[in-house]
Amino acid sequence: MFLEHVNPLQASIFSSLAVVSLLLTFVMLGSHWLQNYVYAFAVQSWLIAALSASVGYFAGYPELYVIAVLTALFRGLVLPYLLMRIIGRLNAKRELHAVLQPSSSLVLGALLVMFAFVIANHMNRQSFLAAHVVVMALTIMLSMKFLGFLMLAVRDEAVSQILGLLVLENGIFLGSQILVPGMPLLIEIVILFDLLIVVACFGMLVRFLVVHAGTTSSRQLNRLVG
Amino acid sequence: MILSNLVLQICQVLCVVLLAPLLQGFILKAEERIQRSRGPNILQPYRDLWKLFHKQAVVPESASWIYMIAPIVAFTAMLIVPILIPVLTDRPLPQSDMGDMLGGGMVLTLGSFAIILAGLDSGNVYGGIGSSRAVMLAILAEPTLILVLVGISLLAKAMLPFVVNHLLLGSPSTYWSPAHLFLILAFFVLLLVETDRLPIHSPTHLEIYMIDEARILEYSGPLLALLKWASMMKQFILYTIFCNVFLLPWGMSQIGTPFGEFGSVVALLVKFLLVALVVIVVETVQSRLRFYRYQEPLATGFLFAVLAIVSSQLM
Amino acid sequence: MAEYLLLILFAAPLAAVALSFAVRSSRLSEYVTVLAAITDFVVSIPLLISVLSAPVTLAHNYIQIDPLGAWVIVCISIVYTLASIYAIGYMRLLNEDERLPLFYGLFSGFAFTMLAACVMNNVGVFWIAIELTTLISTFLVGFEREAESTEAAWKYIVVVSGGISLALLGTVLFYWGGSFVLGPSYAMTWAALHQAAPSVYPPLLLVSFLLVLVGYGTKAGLAPMHTWLPDAHSESPAPVSAMLSGALLNASMLGIARFLGVVRGASIDGFAHSAVVGFGLFSFFIASLFIVRQTGIKRLMAYSSVEHIGVQALGLGFGGVFGVAGALYHMLNHSLNKSLMFFGAGNAMRAYGTKDIPGIRRVLKVFPVSGTLWLLGAVGIAGAPPFALFLSEFTILRSGIGGRYRWAVIVFVIFLIVVFIGFLSHFRAMYFDEAVEPDIPRLSGSVWRTLPMWLAFIPLLIFGLWWPHSLWDIFSRISHDLMGGAQ
Repeated sequence: MFLEHVNPLQASIFSSLAVVSLLLTFVMLGSHWLQNYVYAFAVQSWLIAALSASVGYFAGYPELYVIAVLTALFRGLVLPYLLMRIIGRLNAKRELHAVLQPSSSLVLGALLVMFAFVIANHMNRQSFLAAHVVVMALTIMLSMKFLGFLMLAVRDEAVSQILGLLVLENGIFLGSQILVPGMPLLIEIVILFDLLIVVACFGMLVRFLVVHAGTTSSRQLNRLVG
Repeated sequence: MILSNLVLQICQVLCVVLLAPLLQGFILKAEERIQRSRGPNILQPYRDLWKLFHKQAVVPESASWIYMIAPIVAFTAMLIVPILIPVLTDRPLPQSDMGDMLGGGMVLTLGSFAIILAGLDSGNVYGGIGSSRAVMLAILAEPTLILVLVGISLLAKAMLPFVVNHLLLGSPSTYWSPAHLFLILAFFVLLLVETDRLPIHSPTHLEIYMIDEARILEYSGPLLALLKWASMMKQFILYTIFCNVFLLPWGMSQIGTPFGEFGSVVALLVKFLLVALVVIVVETVQSRLRFYRYQEPLATGFLFAVLAIVSSQLM
Repeated sequence: MAEYLLLILFAAPLAAVALSFAVRSSRLSEYVTVLAAITDFVVSIPLLISVLSAPVTLAHNYIQIDPLGAWVIVCISIVYTLASIYAIGYMRLLNEDERLPLFYGLFSGFAFTMLAACVMNNVGVFWIAIELTTLISTFLVGFEREAESTEAAWKYIVVVSGGISLALLGTVLFYWGGSFVLGPSYAMTWAALHQAAPSVYPPLLLVSFLLVLVGYGTKAGLAPMHTWLPDAHSESPAPVSAMLSGALLNASMLGIARFLGVVRGASIDGFAHSAVVGFGLFSFFIASLFIVRQTGIKRLMAYSSVEHIGVQALGLGFGGVFGVAGALYHMLNHSLNKSLMFFGAGNAMRAYGTKDIPGIRRVLKVFPVSGTLWLLGAVGIAGAPPFALFLSEFTILRSGIGGRYRWAVIVFVIFLIVVFIGFLSHFRAMYFDEAVEPDIPRLSGSVWRTLPMWLAFIPLLIFGLWWPHSLWDIFSRISHDLMGGAQ
């Protein structure tokens, strides 16, 4: 595992990139405006691309450069563009009826980060110098998972739900760059493309929702119960 | 040696007392300049205080002794806190071990508590509203404040501001660690809230928007002057803590020669200039939040504090 | 030999997809789909036989055909065959002829992704295949384009994608755990993970397994992650419901079974089995509650699927030869029986023009023959002899009674009785309530809609009376693979 040999400078580069990505998730969580979510997501993807590239550089995995470029291209440009198009077509600029106030979701999110930290701490057995990078990667991976689910739970607008799912995936991607940079290239690339298809599918579904259900807010999707 | 230390300590307090109006004047002036108007003279707060001290005090009929004593308590509290914190020297002076950061925080809170009581005591409607709003804000800000203190003590393994200052000076890796940066952000939010700034406090003097000012509407003359002065000093003290303990721990006198002291006063003013400029920018771009959205900036602060604690565990 | 069979297995549905989209003739796409499905069914059985002695590995270890995967392929291709025959009769009723090629293209694509998932030897690629099944089937769920079906499709994709991302996280953590043993870069096959599992730090292994269990459990419809299932099953066209319930759930159960195999021998083995048993029982509990008070006919079937997935989870969780064999036998029987039930429900829905149970009365008057089959299927799916589900449920019970899950068996039996009463009381009302004389034109009988019901019913009866010995051999072989020959 390459993390056993990182020096403090590399460790701090990795941690700052990861921590700022986590912070951007909170920007999504605390904002009312759909556009802000998309911007935050795009920046987050660029940070993850930078992380891939730096891991690739320091750990000697040249194939991670490919991943970095693809991440920046797909997650940082194409996906935000698609999402912006969906938003533009929907005429839904902001989240109107959030279940939780942004401030409450921020506080809840903060507590979830603590929970994630506790779990991550239990999962790590390593005690080498940069072990904290491992715990941090695990913490941020799990926190973004939790925060993504929180967004799915408290947001109604279709676009926010798509973004919630994307945050879930970003968390995994971020963590896996640090923890398992040696994961086969093929799988990572396929997962990236898979995400593109997911969003395309969502785009089509959103159009169906507008036409056939007359709404894009899951609050109105309440015909099927029991 | 002891004598010189005592002198130094008195100098610290005097520095706070005398320079606090200058900071306020600078902020007011700069704010107006940024909005392209001329603004009051930078020395205007001194003139205001001077004028108020020469006026007659009018006491409402319904007021009790609390009304009289509150300004004195508030002012005295602000005189005590500078003893405990590094204002000019970066080493503890003889009396500064009277209390740690928690103690200082309590003395500061005692001052605002006295004013809250006075606001209720005056019997004025706005006084009551102001007091209840201030209490609500205090309740919202309290968790963040406590978490910031916890974060500091986890970082420095001590609650003394001098230790934190030395730690940050000594190890740049701690200074640039995410834990410390998050603490700075969290404390900055607290600073905005506690020094009557946007996005919570209104810059216009209308009774319905007032929070801190509403509590002292009934005061006049020297008592009002004391209260205003106390609130300027509170602002000065919080800026000092923010700069000397968190953000810019450099440029403080180590030995305590008069020249060094003078140098650190100048350094302090420069640091304040920087912080005040940031605060002013925030004030200018932010609009006031609705009453029911007050918790948002504070929740953000809370979030930063939590992140700081979590990342301090990762170091 | 096996590689050629696999090639045919994959080529047939792909050809059907290509032809449906290329020619865009609704009649042609119908027949091509049936042809592809029958080809798959015919090929799947020799495929199973050919890999019994030793698993076959292809394509740089990315594909491995083992008996377990081949068994699930058999189940899936049976449902694919039945559903594609039924679809001809059913989809014509929708009067949307011009969209039929699209339907059949997606339908065969859906079947293809499920079949592909069964042979994926790389854990990451398996995840991708399962994710693809979601994407394709979403459009099948929303095919009718009414408000309800669009809503169901939306809920389906959001809930399942969210859940399946947990499985991805679990997979990454598994890989990370393995990297301490096998080095930073290795091929993430099931065997490699199994080899590494005993040396992985137990808390890490535990969290990874739970994440994977919840992830694939969402896709398999285990409660409490089942919330998408009743909506998707009830709002999609009947053949799609049959595919979702009879085939897709099996493919997801395959993931859980394989991961149980991965952690066998590791320190968390016992806990992993208990967790699967717990989810199984909870699904059973939820399903029995909702079955008793259900008013929608297809939702009733959907909750019955939750129940039977719970039974399969119990079988896998109890473990041992009997448990695994019972679960696998149950998989086949449930596929047959649930297809039969959804076909009957589709007929009834179209004839009465409603999805509500209270609107469906005196079924035998409307469908004398297929109604009888439907009723017998209901008796079978409630777990009564002489139908096959009784046999497999009984086997699972027997596997649990001796081990440490005796309490679970008791709870299992109680819920079985509740489900039996609840399920059949709905059918009693639909068949024998004297309330109103139905005044509906008889649906023109179509052989496309009755034939698959017969095709499902006959083997169901046969398997209920006679458990072929060759099947038993297959099951004991698979359980040896999965459980390391315990018991």
